[in-house]
Amino acid sequence: MSDHLLLGKFDLYWANFVGLIVLTAIEVAAVGLDLSESMTLFILVGIAIPKFIMIAAIFMHLWGDKDSKILTLTALFPAFFIVIMILFIGLTHPEASIGLPDWCRPGYYKL
Amino acid sequence: MSSDHHDGEHHPSAWGPHDWSHGAPHNSWSPIIMSIGIGIFLYTVASVYSWGNMVDSSSIPLVLIGLMIILFGLLIWWRQDASFDGIYEPKASGTPFQNIEIRKVAMWVFLMSEMMVFTSLFSTYMRYRFGIDSCQEVYESGSWIVNSQNVDTGEAVNCFLPASELIASSWFHIAPGAINTFALIISSFTIVQALRWAKKPIGSVDEEVRRKRVYRYLGSTWVLAVIFLTLKMVEWFVGFYIPEIGPIHEHDIMSLVDEGYTIHADHYHPHHGWDDIHLAELAALHPEDYEAYLSAVGPNYEPTNAVMLADIRVSSSTFFVTTGTHGAHVFIGIIGLTYMTWKAWTGGYTPQNAVSIEYFGLYWHFVDLIWVIVFPFFYLY
Repeated sequence: MSDHLLLGKFDLYWANFVGLIVLTAIEVAAVGLDLSESMTLFILVGIAIPKFIMIAAIFMHLWGDKDSKILTLTALFPAFFIVIMILFIGLTHPEASIGLPDWCRPGYYKL
Repeated sequence: MSSDHHDGEHHPSAWGPHDWSHGAPHNSWSPIIMSIGIGIFLYTVASVYSWGNMVDSSSIPLVLIGLMIILFGLLIWWRQDASFDGIYEPKASGTPFQNIEIRKVAMWVFLMSEMMVFTSLFSTYMRYRFGIDSCQEVYESGSWIVNSQNVDTGEAVNCFLPASELIASSWFHIAPGAINTFALIISSFTIVQALRWAKKPIGSVDEEVRRKRVYRYLGSTWVLAVIFLTLKMVEWFVGFYIPEIGPIHEHDIMSLVDEGYTIHADHYHPHHGWDDIHLAELAALHPEDYEAYLSAVGPNYEPTNAVMLADIRVSSSTFFVTTGTHGAHVFIGIIGLTYMTWKAWTGGYTPQNAVSIEYFGLYWHFVDLIWVIVFPFFYLY
């Protein structure tokens, strides 16, 4: 961990913590508002991304660590496979979710 | 690695215990023994149970043997590593991690593999969420009536019912998940505070103050993790009671299981709704929103008090498997935190071995990170 995160006048951990709490409160409140489904999804994604980055960068020290470059690349390595999974998941068999053959449906093997 | 290790005179036992002044042991029977035990356990337990029911009890002795072998492997591991004080810190020598602490690299690579596990669960959820018609849409379309898939025939519609339909239905329903979200964020903060106090240079802080601060922050993290799992159990299995407070009426908040949201729910219907009388009333009030329904049932349809039944096993399975896998990670974290809190209480953390808290903290922040994704998309959306 880099010392400036710990010893600087501006306490980054506190700021990060408060920011995460506020974003989560907005997240929960947004669901209570009677918004459209697409708007709710937009808000949830819009809040989840900065929360994800805040935790990884500040709490997990990817920002400011002496090895942050290679560790960030390590953390991002699965992103390639994640993109493949997300992008091509819609290209699987059109009825993959409801028209699976018996051998890959629950209960077939009777183990 | 010390030169003693390379001169061939020091040969650490693969069974332990180990003298860490000679470097880390490179040989251990523990992984092999535990792999065999886990293999036997998983193979045999799959023969004993099917969908929660015992189908073959003859394999139970083998299940127990598998568990005993796992325990034996764990004992070997413990015997080798029990003497480790967390100070010995070898550096990686291979590209691209040269001169980075091996334990830190290992933790990041481990978290990378964990990310793939959760990605597969999350992409499964996405595939089913967007690949199967939502139960609400099927209900409002009226297609279940014309296809005679209702309570009279016992047929069930295959549709997706996200858990958020139940969880986000009221502030009280959402409370356990929301509190859990705040609990995990606070716990992420408390563990970095524990690290901060453990890392303070010798002499800059009274050692007794250091000891108290570190174990209190780690203990707080432990408490928050236990709260998380407790509320998870409340949400899944127990439910809770709301007393009458001002405008709030006395009522019970049912658990997901009591609501019928289970992995066996092949004939699910909510306690209120999904009947054709209610649907006809809604269509009469807002015909512009129910065109599909009106064209499906025709102008002369008379409601018969039929109820739509839904096969929601896919939706409930994706919810319980994903959130359950996350919960299992929290449980593993609790085991680690129990040891660390005890170690901190005995004054075991100093600036020399504070990185142990950092490495565990990486795992714990990762658990928080996953929840940042799981909570909005499984609980709110």
